[in-house]
Amino acid sequence: MFFKRQLPIAIAATIGFLTLFGWFVDEPTIKSFVDDDATQWFDILASFAMFLGALNLLKMQAMKVMKKQKGWQYAALAIAGFAFSFTAGFILLGSYNVEITEFDDPAKVATVLASEINLDEKSTENVLVAVPEGDPYIIETPYFTKNGADNVVEQINAAGGTAHMRATDWGAHISTRGSLFNWMFRFIFTPLSATMFALLAFFVASASYRAFKIRNFEATLLLISGIIIMLGRVPIGGSISAWFILYIVVLALSAGVNTWFKNKTYTLASVVGGVLIVTIAGFIMGWPVDQPAIFYLPVLQDWIYNNPNVAGARAIMIGIGLGIFATSIRYILGIEKSYIGE
Amino acid sequence: MEKFLDFIVRAGSLDRRIIFVVIALVVILPLFFPLGLPIRPTNSSQDVYNAVEELEAGDKALVSFEYGPSTKPEIHPMAIALLRHLFEKDVKVYITCLWPDGQFMAMEALEQVADNQYNKVYGEDYVLLGYRPGAEAVIKGLVSNIRKVFTVDSQGNFLDDIPMMVGVNQVKDFDYLFSASAGYPGTVEWVQYAADPTGVTMSTGTTSIQVNEVMPYVQSGQIVGILGGMPGAAEYESLIGQAGIGTSGMDAQSVAHLVIVGFIIFGNISFFVERRRSKKY
Amino acid sequence: MNGSEIFGAWVAVFLTFGIFSYLYKDNPFYKISEHVFVGVSAGYWMAMAFWTQVQPNLFGRLWPVPEGEISGFFMKAWYGIYNFFGFVLPSVFPDGGIDKGHGHDPHFMYILPFALGIMMLLSVASKLSWLARLGIAYTVGMAAGLRAYAFLNSNVLGQIKGSAVSFVDMPFFSLTGVSVFNNLIILVGTITGLLYFYFSKEHKGSFGKVTRVGIYFLMISFGASFGFAVMGRISLLIGRFTDLITYGSSTYNYASLWVLVLMIVLLAVWTFKGDKEVAS
Repeated sequence: MFFKRQLPIAIAATIGFLTLFGWFVDEPTIKSFVDDDATQWFDILASFAMFLGALNLLKMQAMKVMKKQKGWQYAALAIAGFAFSFTAGFILLGSYNVEITEFDDPAKVATVLASEINLDEKSTENVLVAVPEGDPYIIETPYFTKNGADNVVEQINAAGGTAHMRATDWGAHISTRGSLFNWMFRFIFTPLSATMFALLAFFVASASYRAFKIRNFEATLLLISGIIIMLGRVPIGGSISAWFILYIVVLALSAGVNTWFKNKTYTLASVVGGVLIVTIAGFIMGWPVDQPAIFYLPVLQDWIYNNPNVAGARAIMIGIGLGIFATSIRYILGIEKSYIGE
Repeated sequence: MEKFLDFIVRAGSLDRRIIFVVIALVVILPLFFPLGLPIRPTNSSQDVYNAVEELEAGDKALVSFEYGPSTKPEIHPMAIALLRHLFEKDVKVYITCLWPDGQFMAMEALEQVADNQYNKVYGEDYVLLGYRPGAEAVIKGLVSNIRKVFTVDSQGNFLDDIPMMVGVNQVKDFDYLFSASAGYPGTVEWVQYAADPTGVTMSTGTTSIQVNEVMPYVQSGQIVGILGGMPGAAEYESLIGQAGIGTSGMDAQSVAHLVIVGFIIFGNISFFVERRRSKKY
Repeated sequence: MNGSEIFGAWVAVFLTFGIFSYLYKDNPFYKISEHVFVGVSAGYWMAMAFWTQVQPNLFGRLWPVPEGEISGFFMKAWYGIYNFFGFVLPSVFPDGGIDKGHGHDPHFMYILPFALGIMMLLSVASKLSWLARLGIAYTVGMAAGLRAYAFLNSNVLGQIKGSAVSFVDMPFFSLTGVSVFNNLIILVGTITGLLYFYFSKEHKGSFGKVTRVGIYFLMISFGASFGFAVMGRISLLIGRFTDLITYGSSTYNYASLWVLVLMIVLLAVWTFKGDKEVAS
């Protein structure tokens, strides 16, 4: 019981207090522990949490396969995917470089090298000669197998050059172009994660068609602000004349008059009057696209974005801030115990 | 008239796959037939530009990559544009990543800008420190002592062997912070744990969705300027005068927005007609 | 363009269209892509966490390259453990110790997070699941300590400072810059919006009217969020199509076109067969 309940709460409380006081205390030992080592421990545990996530996922898929549940074939595929990325991450490097440090006769080395870098012999020779004195020449694309690289090294050495095989360091391989891990990231992970997110574009469009209805004043505000941001933020908003927006405003106001007074004469008067005023004003001002500025979408958008929008977003931010502050204090004091399942 | 209204009501319950096809078309067509609409920078993008303009040659900028392939089209163009601006001004660039994917994005951007365009030297003009798991704890660590978090860079070089790391020990030693962020951990954490406590000038570029979460910081001056999504990237590209992927996507973006607004308006007309009818009967 | 890049492009195109095929309906191509994604990302996250943190900053501190000969029973045993692991996984535990610039002496303090981490992993077995609690308690405690201050400082105090601004020396109204009117809007919007979140008092009477104003500001903000959400998703779609167009070029042997045609044909066959089965 002590290990399952009291100890975790004690750890959370102690570390919580230490970290919180680390912000205020200037004692070097405490400060250095809290800022440097304690954060490092956190980072290490975060890494283990990532392992744990992967293991749990694997466990789930494996159970599916073992119990031959519906769709177990796909679960097997997920495990195969994991096996592949694990291999790329820890077992198969797939990145062996060949560097040529010296050569007596560039023409001779070029005969071997040409086929490796897909150039003709003359250009290869020029490439070799162009390498600055003292620098090695490294074949740009790394070799997938150690044997492949060794082979080329042997051939170059036989042609009177001095070449070495250099394997990419484990750890640096994740950020080395040409390694298997990097290939996996570019051609498997990238398209999958990017398309998963892009898929939502279609659903957002369909939802805006079906679900976005003006039911009351609040919904109208939401809709208008959304539309203004959507059009004003992109270049096409700059091509929509302020006068066009003004005409729409006149029509919207007239619709308002209509619902308010329920009198056809008033409505007609407001439409005709509004349109006339706007048109006359337009002729006087010469219809500039971006005047009056308040009806020009990019300007209007920027004003909404910087003022009423910020006000709303700030209310939410302060609300969340207070909420997280309170929850954090509850964790530190041991009142909140959801992390041990209570 | 009745027939026309019938049509509108029926169109209101269109098969969604038809909408999907329309969206696909309006995005693809402008990519093949660009319209070349002019781009107009917003004030908040201009603020980012001005903040970078104030840096001098040799100043140190910490750029953090917190995004991956899932949001690459939005943030990668702004990361590239920002790097171009920084390298143009001979600012030294230090790169960290709070997302694992960020390391790959940074590699790609650096290869394109630092190596192929500006011929910068690794370790002297820029360094890719790489990714560390741990979110806000990593930032807290960097604010206190970079060398505890990173003893080696992403290539396995010791930090003490990298010339541009001499005298750079904590976040305070930088002149400028930029977070290219797609969510948690990202801009919010950099403000809370680095910019606010140290007072180093910080700007950010975020996904469109994140803009509203971050805007209050921009208004209060805790962040200097923000680039919002692909349009933000396009604006920055136009500010530095080097059109890139962001700019080339703007026509498709514009047309798609126009069509979606059209959808919303049409959906509402259909909704009104339907409601009117149900009231009548 | 070398072979592995072209092959990679074909794989990427297949997986891209596999996910997009969900727009038609749930189908085997989508399921294949989805499950590959799940499996591959698990391995990917594991490798990233390991090589960027566990190996350099944990194992590098526990088993650094020693200075000179290893002497003493304890140290020999300690590096004996290392050598055993090195025998099993030489890529992870290279000969002679891990040199990541942490000095030459082991930092034994780091056994603690290592142990907590191992306990976390053991919790995969359902019976031992409580073992993870200690490690989780550490991260929860630390996150609470960090956030309590950071959120209060940046999100509450910083924002109050941002709203409590001067109303002198500025124009009454400006569309593009600061002005008295704009500052008032922000102040009123923030306060009424916050009051809306105050649920300890019923939203009636004059208080109800004030919170009503708060809702309007929140709605404008949500509307903007919706606009931005649409914007973001469309950008991502543009990015995807740009990649597909690149992979559809002759350099990649028109991968996008071929895969698209093939997938449409197979999906048509699959639907047709499904319809027949239902009919029979």
